[in-house]
Amino acid sequence: MSINKLLPLAEAAQRYAGDGIQYASGAGLPVGADAIAFGRELVRQGRRNLHALFHCNTQQLNLLAAAGTVDKAEVGFSGLEGFGFANGLRRVVEEGKLALEDYSNLAMALRFLGGALNWPFVPATTCIGSDIQQRSAFAPEEYPATGKIPEIADPFSGRTLGAYSPLKPDLAVIHVTLADPEGNAIMIGSEWSRFELSRAAKRLVLVADHIVDTDCMRQYPNLVRIPGLIVDAVVWWPFSAWPAASPGVHDVDEAHTKLMNEWLATEEGTFRYIDRYIFSYQTVDAYLNLIGQDVISKLEDSPTRFLLDPYRQWILDRAKVEQLQAENHILKRAA
Amino acid sequence: MSTATATRTDSAPEAAERKGPLRYSRQEMMAIAAGREIKDGELAIFGVGLSLLAGYFAQEHHGPNIRSMTEGGIYGATPIGGLPWGIECNRLSANATSFTGGLDALGFLVASGRVDVGLIGAAQVDKFGNVNTTGIWDRSKGNGLGDTYTPPKTRLTGAGGANDIASGAKRTVIMVTHEAKRFVDKVDYISSPGYLEGGDARARYGFVGGGPSAIVTTLGILRPHPETKEFWLDAYYPFSSVDEVRAQTGWDLKVFRHASMIAPPTVAEVEALRRVDVTGMLRREK
Repeated sequence: MSINKLLPLAEAAQRYAGDGIQYASGAGLPVGADAIAFGRELVRQGRRNLHALFHCNTQQLNLLAAAGTVDKAEVGFSGLEGFGFANGLRRVVEEGKLALEDYSNLAMALRFLGGALNWPFVPATTCIGSDIQQRSAFAPEEYPATGKIPEIADPFSGRTLGAYSPLKPDLAVIHVTLADPEGNAIMIGSEWSRFELSRAAKRLVLVADHIVDTDCMRQYPNLVRIPGLIVDAVVWWPFSAWPAASPGVHDVDEAHTKLMNEWLATEEGTFRYIDRYIFSYQTVDAYLNLIGQDVISKLEDSPTRFLLDPYRQWILDRAKVEQLQAENHILKRAA
Repeated sequence: MSTATATRTDSAPEAAERKGPLRYSRQEMMAIAAGREIKDGELAIFGVGLSLLAGYFAQEHHGPNIRSMTEGGIYGATPIGGLPWGIECNRLSANATSFTGGLDALGFLVASGRVDVGLIGAAQVDKFGNVNTTGIWDRSKGNGLGDTYTPPKTRLTGAGGANDIASGAKRTVIMVTHEAKRFVDKVDYISSPGYLEGGDARARYGFVGGGPSAIVTTLGILRPHPETKEFWLDAYYPFSSVDEVRAQTGWDLKVFRHASMIAPPTVAEVEALRRVDVTGMLRREK
């Protein structure tokens, strides 16, 4: 058996996510797979002053912003795609409670790449000439901003370019479809920037829909875009992306996405949301009950289900996963 | 596997069976006009929302060889079940032939200069085709933002990949509902660059891409003047007029001498669009 890095969700959050850290989420875009359950845990544990690095806003950042967990954020996109504006994030930005620094979607991927490669900067051929370059929420007095995407000269042609600052988050929590106990992982659907982010982060926690036997990874090593050797911990939490989708596993919960966004629009609604959808559960069973078995069945009946078929034979059953969690070497080492 | 490549349920009523003239909404006209901007065989990237419908309409109607992609790195897909909630939505992921990611789609394919055309949306657009999707500032305090960055009165969605598409695609088509509050002399914030201050301003920054070739709206089509790059009215629709377009434009909109009514949608176009827009997003009254 390979090294066992399985940790319970609450334990992983406790261990790796301190107040004030630069926290990155690895998601498949705004309404794609994101470990939103990890964000719920950060709210439950009362984390403060997080500096969020979200390639795109998701319902997780919407929640963390609304709940006051995050006070600085850098994003390429701050909406919820077809679900409209992210009302929680929007509210605290408009109230001046959260400084939101805007980049583009390519810029964020390149900044993670720069961090992963340990580059001093990344040449920017986008965001230049726009207010993304010239306006900085982190340096509001400076216009045009000179420190956000500073102008540089191409040493070969002399042409003026921009420079992106690289990102090395203190912690990245990445949603994956499948992980083995060591942290070898397969993502189904758009990878978005999870490959670059996994290499840029100082600490890396995976949140997986399913834990599989390592034989699965030996069958498809080309598809293992996150190798276990860079992973600190693996969390199993079914429906961790809810209410967002996880391709191959379940669809987006449209009704809850709308309800969540509506409630996060006000402070009072946010308290209600936290009470009803975070403090109301502790265990996986209670969480799944909260979503509701009928809803789960409906969401699992996804047109993408077939994408998981090649891997199903290696999925470990729940008893085995919980046994591995209990035997985890990280916990043993700590004890 | 058969469910995987599920075909669309064709809930659109047969237009041929309808009595009287062909009926279509303003939004449908906009999507069809935008779709006509994409030529068969082009490498095309579609932004979230109505641009997805316009893009996949083009593929369905006249561009079987359009090589379509979204910035999520979802290639070879055809949406099922209606407008995807996002560019990585399961409605697209259900039949893609390749999943990659943002660096590949927006970097290797767009920033490199390979993409022929990008379709993007806008909350605000100005006479040089600059797009604002970031925020609305209080105009009573001057023209939006001053020398100090202040939080917007209304925060919007940010640039997403539209800035990268506007910077890198050979040409960009902007889709936007035509209202005076959206068509402003100068946008509050340039989220995605058009021709900046006009003329050859883009050359100062050495953008890889060429800039917007058209602003396709619910009332007509605007195109840039070859030298000044100011957007002029190029065409209006069967249900709109030069006067109406000008009244709904916040700058003194000039009209090309050749401006005329564009061909109304054909039955085949409306049917193709409704096969893509299964849930009727474009037929909803605002």
